[in-house]
Amino acid sequence: MPVVQVARDDQYVLNHTTRFLARDTGEVSEPFHLPVVDTHWDGTSAETSYRFNDVTFVHRDDQAGEVGVVGTFGDLHTPVPLRRVRFLDEPTGLWALTVRVGKGQVHRYRFTVDGRSVLDPVNPQRLRSDNGQEWSRFFTHGCAVPISFDRWELRLLERLVTQVLPFQLAENRRFLADFYHGLSRAERDRRFPLAFLMDESVGVVNFIDKLVAREERHNLDDYKTCLLLIDGVLRARFPGREPAELGRQAFMDLYDELAANNVPGWDTGRYGEPRHFLVLLRRHAMTGAFAHPKHGGNQGAAAWAYLAERFAFDWRAAIEAPLGRNTDYRG
Amino acid sequence: MADEAFDAVIIGSGAGGAPVAHALVRAGKRVLVLEKGPLFHAQHTSADGLSDFKRDEEFATGAEKVLRVQGVANTGVSFYSSHVEPDLNDEPHVYRDSDGRDKATIEGYTAQVVGGGTQLYGGVSLRFAPDDFRLRTVNRDRDDLRADPNGDVAREARDWPFGYDDLEPWYCRAEELIGINGTRDGQLKPASVDNYQQPLAPNSISAHVAAGMDALGYRRYRTPLAVITEDHAPSGRTVPADRESIKTAFVNRYGDPLGWKSNTWVSLLHPVSAEPGFSLRANCSVTHLSATGPRVTAVHYRDPLGRERTVSGTVVVVACSAIESVRLLQLSAERDAAFADRINGNDLLGRYFLTHCFGGASARVPGRHDKSRTLDSDWATDACAAPEFVRANNLWAGGAIYNNTSDSALPISMARTWAANDMDTMWKGYLYDLDMRGDGFDGYLTENFGRQLSVAFMANQVPLPTNRITLHPAVRDKWNRPVANIDKGWHGHDRAVMDVLAEQCRRILAAGGDGVQVIGHGHVGNDVRRIANHVLGGARFGTDPDDSVLDPDCRAWRFDNLYVTDGSFMPTSGGANPTLTIQANAFRVGDLLTTRV
Repeated sequence: MPVVQVARDDQYVLNHTTRFLARDTGEVSEPFHLPVVDTHWDGTSAETSYRFNDVTFVHRDDQAGEVGVVGTFGDLHTPVPLRRVRFLDEPTGLWALTVRVGKGQVHRYRFTVDGRSVLDPVNPQRLRSDNGQEWSRFFTHGCAVPISFDRWELRLLERLVTQVLPFQLAENRRFLADFYHGLSRAERDRRFPLAFLMDESVGVVNFIDKLVAREERHNLDDYKTCLLLIDGVLRARFPGREPAELGRQAFMDLYDELAANNVPGWDTGRYGEPRHFLVLLRRHAMTGAFAHPKHGGNQGAAAWAYLAERFAFDWRAAIEAPLGRNTDYRG
Repeated sequence: MADEAFDAVIIGSGAGGAPVAHALVRAGKRVLVLEKGPLFHAQHTSADGLSDFKRDEEFATGAEKVLRVQGVANTGVSFYSSHVEPDLNDEPHVYRDSDGRDKATIEGYTAQVVGGGTQLYGGVSLRFAPDDFRLRTVNRDRDDLRADPNGDVAREARDWPFGYDDLEPWYCRAEELIGINGTRDGQLKPASVDNYQQPLAPNSISAHVAAGMDALGYRRYRTPLAVITEDHAPSGRTVPADRESIKTAFVNRYGDPLGWKSNTWVSLLHPVSAEPGFSLRANCSVTHLSATGPRVTAVHYRDPLGRERTVSGTVVVVACSAIESVRLLQLSAERDAAFADRINGNDLLGRYFLTHCFGGASARVPGRHDKSRTLDSDWATDACAAPEFVRANNLWAGGAIYNNTSDSALPISMARTWAANDMDTMWKGYLYDLDMRGDGFDGYLTENFGRQLSVAFMANQVPLPTNRITLHPAVRDKWNRPVANIDKGWHGHDRAVMDVLAEQCRRILAAGGDGVQVIGHGHVGNDVRRIANHVLGGARFGTDPDDSVLDPDCRAWRFDNLYVTDGSFMPTSGGANPTLTIQANAFRVGDLLTTRV
């Protein structure tokens, strides 16, 4: 597919990268910022701009003669050249390229440095393609493609976060159902362009899936370990039953046991403090439910709509169209 | 020799640096502003029509980060910071906790970005009260002060080198050029010109504060806020047809993508950015200054990718926030004994570091209000800054009281500040309230969402030589330079000030109408974990070279061309948020400098 390049100036590249890269000691800080995934603005319309992100690839190499990038966002066999980023009319050793990429997507890419193919040395996100080659990875806003978790993990996580959030109440479940399913397909697409699925967790599981893939990679192991332990605990308690399909009471009990830091059957040798996991889950559930939908949760702004419906919260006034109704702010 | 020369090199682009730059560029001078942080645009200043600031709670306090700094006692703890706050791992500040152990910390409103803390602040733009400038004089013969058995207050209080009336024209200038809305009537701070724009209608929840202030007989006025509500000719900014849309809960701790919040980039620097004399270099960290005798001859900085560069200025203005300015001077002194002797011959550099006596009260109101449409504050009163109040309560100084309208307005911020009063305990109230789940969560929202209201006070802290900024002996930043080490405690009289003013905040809310339920009141007096919201002092100015670091013009006493214009110049911290006073003073110094370069 043709790559649509976007003009983002050198100042933009420096603004969004050098703080993390430049240093005399220590490692690159907050490497998850690269590549930079940002709002797209086509200069005219919020409606047409909203479907896209700007993705800025940055590579640091003082010696290179030319740097390009190939990836699934474009033609896999034709590198798109990065330009030299300058400061005070001198080359900085940084190379950059901004391209337009659709929202909700996951892509892999590699840099080419003087014809040599290299991984992005800063971005810690990696994936292996079917032929075994390792690639760097990025995803765009509102991405609903599972990245960190397998299907069984996602389903179990769904049941757990439902315990934390207020949406399991009958009246709130009804609200969510009415709120989303009451809309026509066209209206749904217009008002909630990033919603793909409405459930009691309003997409929190998807938010967590993305968060531990990028900003909070350091918490991925906690999830992997604890979901496995929980799966084991529930299977031992309910032989022959699929844990994610157990009744509500099983998860309410499990919540209480995690809160008490005492889960019968829990292997504390593998994870010492079950309550620590619950606290982590609580923070992620709260954040995922009520953060901007671009982070993958709060799908269709359902949790904000719940606040507006139950309480008083005119969230649409401040939030960019077409998700909100503010046409001054472009997101 | 430096690589390049300018009339003025200004280090820092916030409240202390930008007014100086503005004044000098308008006077036709060649000015270079060096800023450690990025140039994050508002939509209208951006080449691509997009702002780098977002209305997104993940930008104010985002994902969990983990402190990796070695050699401090809180290594490994979680922290949550704004996208423009200093990276705690790359440039921590260290303080000594009450348990005697060193810990890394961060201040509330220090931002590394063009515009500095004015990008993040709520915009409260109060003047100091007339007595704030003469606290030595007004306390000279006092023997009635609470909790001051040794007369520390009378000994340590200092007058400013000038009085309120001398700074008054510069307050007017700042209010005109920055772009501030508010009302004058009811203020204890006389103004020769009223440059305020019209405030927008207050959020309905603030009616309880108005009622409480009225019930106590406290004259109130609309809190002056650095947010434009009308087209602002000096900066060329315009407001939308629907002015109500200016109000948004994404205000305090958020950069404003639409540029209505009057940060120093949109109000002062962008308007002169097309002038031939103006240069701004973002993402450039100054590492030290070097001098030949009484002249600073080179400003050494790292460019965006870390290369070492130098510039020189006929004058050099340091304005990178009090702690970092002091540290920069100390780092320069560390490299050069002659520099050290000139800047710190009297051993005062870094001493008398100040913050504010700060605290307040919070309440739950009976009705529910939509706090999504708000600015940071609606009502303020100077009743507790009045000399009669101060005397009657046996205090050395008073303070401003105003309500916070925007706090707990957004769902995530309400949760992460639940039962917390500082940045270290952020999230913990909610996270460990494990019964808050399912219908318990719904109940928490029902009880609190759109119903929380708080009132805060801001008052002078007693200056103490032991409250001090030094270089840490072991912890280093990412440029391998020693980081700032902060010693800070409270005087007994500070606690008395805070007790009295927190009680007034409680009374305002308690008198706020039927059904208003006060849920807490207190102050920062027992807690130093969050070192400060406002960092001031450490390089105080004065009329006596043996008793101050800077002369009345904010020039270092024994240098010809070195000025310091952020909050570090303050000998006392004032009974109000400091930004407007820093700006007014910086306009004053900027005007002086037009005749010196």
